[in-house]
Amino acid sequence: MAREPLLGRLNRKVFGYLASRFPPTPYSDLTRRGVETIQRQMPRSHAEKYELKTIWYWYPLYCLGGISFVAFIILTITGILLGFYYVPEGTIATDPLTGDPTSGAYRSMQFIMNDVPFGFMVRGIHHWGAHVMIAAVFLHMMRVYFTGAYKKPRELNWLLGAVLLILTLGFGYTGYLLPANDLSRGAATIGINMTKASPGPAWLGHALTLLVFGEADPTGFYIIRMYWLHVFVLPLVATLLMVVHMALVWIQGVGEPH
Amino acid sequence: MQVEAVRERVYEGRPGFPAEYGPDRQGVQPGYPFWPHEAYRDLVIIFLLCAILLFLSAAYTPVVGPSANPAIQPFIIPDWYLLFSWGLLKVADVLPTCQPPSCQIPDGFGGALNVDGAFWGDVLTLIPVLPIFLLPFLDRGREARPAKSPVRGALGLYGIAFVFFASLYALNDRLLETWPFLTDDTLKVFFVVPPILVGLAAYVGLRRLGYRDMYWWLVAALGAAFALILASGFWAFAIGPWGLDGIDPWTRLLRAFGDPRAWPTIVFGLIPIAYTGVVFYATAALRERKAKEIVLVASVIALFATVGLVKWSADANPAGTYDALRLIATNGNFLVALPFFALITFYVGTRTPYSTYEYLLNECYQCGKCHTVCPVTKVEDDALGGLNLVYNTFKKQHDGVPLWTCLACDACSAVCPLDIHYSDYILEERSKAFASAAEAQARSGVPAEAAK
Repeated sequence: MAREPLLGRLNRKVFGYLASRFPPTPYSDLTRRGVETIQRQMPRSHAEKYELKTIWYWYPLYCLGGISFVAFIILTITGILLGFYYVPEGTIATDPLTGDPTSGAYRSMQFIMNDVPFGFMVRGIHHWGAHVMIAAVFLHMMRVYFTGAYKKPRELNWLLGAVLLILTLGFGYTGYLLPANDLSRGAATIGINMTKASPGPAWLGHALTLLVFGEADPTGFYIIRMYWLHVFVLPLVATLLMVVHMALVWIQGVGEPH
Repeated sequence: MQVEAVRERVYEGRPGFPAEYGPDRQGVQPGYPFWPHEAYRDLVIIFLLCAILLFLSAAYTPVVGPSANPAIQPFIIPDWYLLFSWGLLKVADVLPTCQPPSCQIPDGFGGALNVDGAFWGDVLTLIPVLPIFLLPFLDRGREARPAKSPVRGALGLYGIAFVFFASLYALNDRLLETWPFLTDDTLKVFFVVPPILVGLAAYVGLRRLGYRDMYWWLVAALGAAFALILASGFWAFAIGPWGLDGIDPWTRLLRAFGDPRAWPTIVFGLIPIAYTGVVFYATAALRERKAKEIVLVASVIALFATVGLVKWSADANPAGTYDALRLIATNGNFLVALPFFALITFYVGTRTPYSTYEYLLNECYQCGKCHTVCPVTKVEDDALGGLNLVYNTFKKQHDGVPLWTCLACDACSAVCPLDIHYSDYILEERSKAFASAAEAQARSGVPAEAAK
């Protein structure tokens, strides 16, 4: 029997791999039909369809991914509000009145906390929302791990989630470096030192430090880098990845408990 | 010829033997309506989250703190989710360091690699991060449930415990300041011993959840725990800090009885050792029910004895109590952790999973082999109406007929591709029914004969 040519076999392997994971379903048609139907219904899950006796205590844990997304939306709204008043200016100067060190960023933080109406509430929601989001992401990852939801066909979505976890930690880190207070400076010192010591040649760590923090010692210039990472780079990448993450959940279905 | 013979025996589609098992298969499976069923649930979650955030920001408003000051090196604690990395950075000083002047590890670009604490901190931070990225390629198994893949569950809990203790070590200077009887070495060993204990206890508990008999695992684990705590006690009393004076252990022990400063150490040290020994003995030598009673009593006694003695002794003999606490805390990885490990492992290893057979029946994907071989459906008149013993029992849709007409011949288990022991389930359900009937009779006081 004549063997199929290598290219054909390879094609079949690649497209077979993709088709078994991301079946070509007309999602736009499905969406339109779903929107146009008067009696809109959520599809029944596998467990509901076959009346399987699922373990009920897993189910409350299935809202954790959604909670982290809702927290992300709340963080976006409060972050936009904070952005109206925050000044990413980290150069340390002496306060002419008190003689203490201060900076543009620190003064704008004091302005938000003391003078902006409900500024302290908006910042408080942004602060605690970040904690809630990171906790929800951690717990979401544990749920996915312990229900084995990362297995075939959802490997790619697990990797996307792992990248999103690191991006979320990046949000947290860049975020608490912004107020230009002592915590910001101390954390920047640790971060700069650890980036400098990146495994590999010495120039790599130095180049990475200059790329991420913009300076080799935390003098205050790092604030503007962290600001752009926090309000532009990370939101752009993370929002795109979140959309793909949730689209894949829709395409591949929820990894249910058994 | 053979094909005809097989066709002869195929009952599918004949009267009483429907070709499809399970609910009617339709092209469209009706689901729950989005409004209000799903929308209410989501709105409740969103409002609850908003309420929590509003409460937290009003009651615990985050303060900005003093401005960054290059003149002052502040004592800071990073946010909790980065503590694990900082803890690993701190513990990295146990690893060998190598600075370019003293050693030359070429980095491949003409320079030298700087192997210091920060380098090891970076490398160690990868330890919890890398497995997350490799996970779907390392674990290719089919089983999703923790009870069916206990190694994965145990490794997961091990990882969580490791990250927790790494985060705890980031606060080591605070901890040592608050509890001066702790030592830094004890906290360093927290990276090794407690995560292993957590993983081991989780493994035993998960296997038990999957209906395995964990007797020998318990005996081995608790025996090892008892041996370790004995060795730790011997180290603490004989060759540890107490043994540096060169006196042989027995002499010192005998002399210690006359020394009022020393006896709290002996008593407090003996409680965890004796407790672990009791748990080990009960597990190994007694029947499970008896062992559970003994362990319960021993746990209560040990708890109250420890709390009461510490409280009483703190007033009567403060110097001796401090010595005892220091000795126990220094050996916290064994003298403190192992009794808790013994208790938790014993509990999870002997408990009866409450959702007994339903958990195993869950594997059923309704292939219908059990129905095909079931002899009852071939002779019972009811069966002609499509009675499916296993499926009806599984769905709790039976009216008592499947439960009491089953012969427990186990033919269904023999053909089950997932090895579900259906007749075990039937027998247990029957014994439950008998037990509740007998209980009801005993309560009503009517003899069984009269009740009929």
